[in-house]
Amino acid sequence: MSLRTTPFHSRTGPLSEGQAWRRWAGYVVASSYELSHDREYHAIRNAAALFDVSPLYKYLITGRDASRLLDHVVTRNVGKAKVGQVLYTPWCDNDGKQIDDGTISVLGEQRFRMTSADPTLRWLHLNSRGLEVAIEDVSDRTAALSLQGPSSREILQLAAERDLSGLKYFRLTDAKIRGIPVTISRTGYTGDLGYEVWVDATQAVPVWDALIEIGTAYGITPAGMLALDVARIEAGLLLIEVDYFSSRHALIEAQKSSPLELGLGWTVATDKERYNGQAALEAERMGGGPSWQFTGLTVDWDSLERLYAEVGLPPRLPTQAWRASVPIYDRGGNRQVGYATSGGWSPLLKRYMALAHLGSDSAAPGTEVRMEVTVEHHRKQATAHVTPLPFFNPDRKRA
Amino acid sequence: MSYDAIVIGAGANGLVTAHYLARAGKRVLVVERRHGADPSADIGWVPPRVVRDLGLRDLRLEQPDPWITIPLGGGGGGTLELSRDMARSVDAIRRVSPADAEQWPEFCRRMRSIAGVLERLYLAPPPDIETRNARELARMAGLGLYVRRLGKQTVIDLARILPMSIAELLDDWFASDALKGALGALGIWHLKQGPRSGGTAFNFLHHHVGCPAGVFRPLRSNVTQTLARMTGVEIRRGERAAVVAKHGRATGVVLEKSGDTILAPLVVSSADPRATLHPIAIELDPEFARAVDNIKARGVVARGTLTLDQAPSYSSLCIAPSLEYLERAYDDAKYGRDSAAPYVEVQRTDSRLEVHVQYVPYTDGTANVQRHQTLQQKVAQQLGVQASQVKLQSPDEEELQRGATEGHLYHGELTLDQILFMRPVPGWSRYRTPIEGLYLCGAGTHPGGGIPGAAGRNAARAIL
Amino acid sequence: MTATTRYEAIVIGGGHNGLVTAAYLARAGKSVLVLERRPRVGGAAVTEEIFPGFKFSMFSYVVSLLRPEIIRDLDLPRHGLHILPLESTVTPMENGDYLAGWADHDETRRELYRHSPRDAEAYDEYGRLMHFMAQAVKPILGMVPPDPTSFAPGDLAALFKLGKHFRGLGGERLHALVKLMTMSSADFLDEWFETDVLKATKSASGIIGTFLGPRSPGTAYVLLHHYMGELDGVFRAWGFAKGGTGAVSEAIASAARGFGAAIRCDASVARVIVRGGRATGVALENGDELEAGTVVSSLDPRRTFLQLLESNDLPADFVSDIRRFKFRGSSGKVNLALDALPSFTCMPGIGRQHRGAFSISPSLDYVERAYDDAKYGEFSRRPYMDIVFPSMIDPGMAPPGKHVMSIFVQYAPYNLNGGWTDAKREAFGDAVVNTVESFAPGFKSLILHRQVITPLDIERITGLSEGNIFAGELALHQLFFLRPAPGWAKFSTPVRNFYQCGSGTHPGGGIMGASGRLAAMRILKDGR
Repeated sequence: MSLRTTPFHSRTGPLSEGQAWRRWAGYVVASSYELSHDREYHAIRNAAALFDVSPLYKYLITGRDASRLLDHVVTRNVGKAKVGQVLYTPWCDNDGKQIDDGTISVLGEQRFRMTSADPTLRWLHLNSRGLEVAIEDVSDRTAALSLQGPSSREILQLAAERDLSGLKYFRLTDAKIRGIPVTISRTGYTGDLGYEVWVDATQAVPVWDALIEIGTAYGITPAGMLALDVARIEAGLLLIEVDYFSSRHALIEAQKSSPLELGLGWTVATDKERYNGQAALEAERMGGGPSWQFTGLTVDWDSLERLYAEVGLPPRLPTQAWRASVPIYDRGGNRQVGYATSGGWSPLLKRYMALAHLGSDSAAPGTEVRMEVTVEHHRKQATAHVTPLPFFNPDRKRA
Repeated sequence: MSYDAIVIGAGANGLVTAHYLARAGKRVLVVERRHGADPSADIGWVPPRVVRDLGLRDLRLEQPDPWITIPLGGGGGGTLELSRDMARSVDAIRRVSPADAEQWPEFCRRMRSIAGVLERLYLAPPPDIETRNARELARMAGLGLYVRRLGKQTVIDLARILPMSIAELLDDWFASDALKGALGALGIWHLKQGPRSGGTAFNFLHHHVGCPAGVFRPLRSNVTQTLARMTGVEIRRGERAAVVAKHGRATGVVLEKSGDTILAPLVVSSADPRATLHPIAIELDPEFARAVDNIKARGVVARGTLTLDQAPSYSSLCIAPSLEYLERAYDDAKYGRDSAAPYVEVQRTDSRLEVHVQYVPYTDGTANVQRHQTLQQKVAQQLGVQASQVKLQSPDEEELQRGATEGHLYHGELTLDQILFMRPVPGWSRYRTPIEGLYLCGAGTHPGGGIPGAAGRNAARAIL
Repeated sequence: MTATTRYEAIVIGGGHNGLVTAAYLARAGKSVLVLERRPRVGGAAVTEEIFPGFKFSMFSYVVSLLRPEIIRDLDLPRHGLHILPLESTVTPMENGDYLAGWADHDETRRELYRHSPRDAEAYDEYGRLMHFMAQAVKPILGMVPPDPTSFAPGDLAALFKLGKHFRGLGGERLHALVKLMTMSSADFLDEWFETDVLKATKSASGIIGTFLGPRSPGTAYVLLHHYMGELDGVFRAWGFAKGGTGAVSEAIASAARGFGAAIRCDASVARVIVRGGRATGVALENGDELEAGTVVSSLDPRRTFLQLLESNDLPADFVSDIRRFKFRGSSGKVNLALDALPSFTCMPGIGRQHRGAFSISPSLDYVERAYDDAKYGEFSRRPYMDIVFPSMIDPGMAPPGKHVMSIFVQYAPYNLNGGWTDAKREAFGDAVVNTVESFAPGFKSLILHRQVITPLDIERITGLSEGNIFAGELALHQLFFLRPAPGWAKFSTPVRNFYQCGSGTHPGGGIMGASGRLAAMRILKDGR
């Protein structure tokens, strides 16, 4: 036994020029298909990028109490969602600490598809005591593609042979591509106009082929995880195990975060019955709000340039997004006020951005802080300013 | 009609809690699923504080003397009878093993000393080892000091003996199979474990609580009937009640038959924790619900009655000829079978003969007629009577009739991982539940089964 | 005869604990002599060339429990210690399927998922919990057990520290610890998993060296004991010493010599010389008497106190406590020289599976039944076995192309009905080989040589009483301040200047060396 390949591998495999693969949930997926990920990134913002996101964990939840189960688990109000809606939501343990985040697609009155970054089957089962509900792991059975970018709508309309202009942000619809039944949701992990296509794994390849054939004229570009990583930082989207730890994996309390601390306060419903973590989250809200904030940072160009100039070098930019824990200090550079967990250069916005956890008193937009940077083996501090997320939020995303 | 408190279950613990609450001025309703009062005797020590506090004047405590009659195998037959009087027991044991007779008084003294520690532990909520509360810490320190003052030997005995198997403990002291079998049987009471399993020495001592030195069978009493006859609380029989909870608060109970809801700000359940909490799982932290599911309550005892034409010569008869006999009886249970040769004990209370048969493992919650007949025949044969004279109820039947999960009389086995602050669920041993206004007071809570009223009193005190 | 040299310390027994004690004492500048009865050091951790060209770790065969601080303090890698990873476990099932655990997390998850999707997830959480628990217990391994019956300030302080440590764990982990200390491994695993073969294989590590079945309370602790293995800072990593486990002993011996300790083999100690309540030296079987300021025994408690000393040297209740200390050896070993590697039905062919262990534990009932046999005085007709092919990891263990196979077997009770005889030993060996054959047809024809070791053989060869591989059962009532006897769990003994340092003292068991190290610390602290 070795690592598994996704249902699209017969197509994605030959595309890989540099054999740059990475692991995702026990599968291999492309880091980038071309030798550099630049073009793949620009396709996201300029044309359309096609990602293979099949390794996502997917669960089908059906039955009379399906929405009750989900409402018991997640922080958003699933009972209020309408058929055809997709919800992005975190879920928590009883102490209000975040376990994972994902989406819930309302496929029918008693039929939901949940995606998650970590395996969630057992947790759903643990929560389903006494409920009339069936939980099915459809991860292997369901292939998923993500088509993201300004041209994604035109391509998909042609492929699905139907008008998608009525499909609103975070809504889904059934459709057919080359006669193959698919579900199309207007969702994604890039913060751009984009769609995800869900299809039975056995019929995955023709769907890929159709999108590539039709999309070529529109600049469709298969893209890998490196490009996606830059885009998701621009969009200010969290990544588990990078930007936060699942409370079920955390070794110590300090590694856990609540959704309120992760900037997901908007997903924590106030109008629903008991769910895991409700009491703790309400208490956190009542008690003056979270003590941490998850926010953006923009590293000042001048400051960075100066640090490099001191050693006689031009600034070196992180063209690949980094994932590390980097200390953030207050303006004076003495007191640590937080840490950044992801960062990188935005080729579109032409700025050095980072995602950071800051103590609430240092997290107001515009606050000046210092971020640690290593310049020629020496630790320095660059000036940075707190920037509200997302960094990039085009109108077309929702339009 | 409105109540301050509703108690589910009219067993000894439920009624004790109800009466304590009533004495504190609360209007209390007790809901019991069974129609009639249970005629069987209550087994175990009724804490004297309960008797005093509630003025149980009609309470009858019984302890037959001799407290056990052990048929001796071999050609000669005969019996070994153990009595409350130490000297008489020593004389009787001497006939089977002079060496064991020598050991008897010291053994009894040592066991009594540990049981004394347990008694003290049982009359209060379990020590809260996580606490930062100064009073609780002081209480724990007091307990520690009390134990240490009993002497070095008791401290070592507590640490050494409690985790031991009853077989190891008895092998350390005695040689006679008959004696070890009869004593060892107490160590496996209501456990799906054999005499060689660790922790059975604890179970043995648990059932020694409240007994005088040298008596290793619990007292028997009519405490439930006494409590049921007392005034002060309203009892509604023949109704199954389930807890109603919303937004993490108990609001009352719903009656299964009528569907009527009775409101009360306080609900106390003496039913087993799983049966109580399962219907409201949606209101619970899934990890807590998982812990509740993990409570081991594997019924292994068939209970019943024996009808004889005339009173037998014994007041208490134990068929457990050796530790190996018990161990082999357990081997069957391990693989889900009724013991081919079970441990059988008959206890006489007035004219009523009650039978305890072990191991009859819980299977799937259905009554199996053929299994039932085989079992009754087997037991009748062992007792030398007709099958029609034996009436037994398997754990499966017990569950069907009483609702105790897996037919476990104690609502959870008394193993070392399910006592004190681990009972009923680790971290929730103070009779409270995560549902505000819902308390537990049954055998599933500290100190567990076999001490009728102790959990009920502790729970009432925790509530008040 | 009179002694020619007087040593500051004499260590009786050159097993790994004795050697560790000697090395630490020598490192502190003491003149130390180790006396070993056999022609080689190592005790139960020896490598022997039993058949020409075929080398075996005769008894103990895997390492991971060896305390990292000992490896560091004694700089064992410099003395030849090289631990190679042993990372997979394959459990053949009766239906021809298997359960495998691989080094790679994704691969293991995928494999478990095949058996139960829920268990695949539970496995991660279980692993994390056990990791915490091992960490929680770790400080205890490095601690001299306080005496709870004592009012001495040192004991009270240590008890207080211990209490604080446990409370610091927080409720959830504290409760898990209580469960691990008291439950059966089957019950404990039932709380986590539904796959029977997974529970069987996990529970097997809870019965090793005990006279208990997977459903016997107390086995969950042994489960944890085996999780405490730590290699390169990673918990629960099992390894195999290059050159066999004898190489571990040799490395420690070499370190001890490097610090100036003398080691004498073929020197069997008859008794400890006690004068006026003090140990003053030892008398050898050959009549020699050697003087020493301190005498340390690494033998098990029974031999240390009931054989090396006269009973009137010791208080009567202490003697009866030691008599009561349980050994009940239950494990045997079959060492085979093979012409070629066997192919298992469940995973045909020769491959990477042979670089890990095969666990013959197809179901909980299978393991429990193996115990039932032993409980009534028979060896298991179909025993639990842990099989490794050391020559696949270290090619030097067998001639090129040939292999050695190590089979750890349970249960083989020391007190066999009718006693062990040569015929019974061979019958036991047959039961083992036939059981393996049922999972790997054709295996028997590959056997070139066979060595069967019963608990009685272990006792005869290594001196471990009743052949108990942990020098005394790892039962709750024989641990910590009760190991080996209440009041005497701090390495000192009722005889002044006489100490104990074997696995029969806290924390005991496995090639851990912690007892030896703690004993040395204690001796040095006492100013000896």
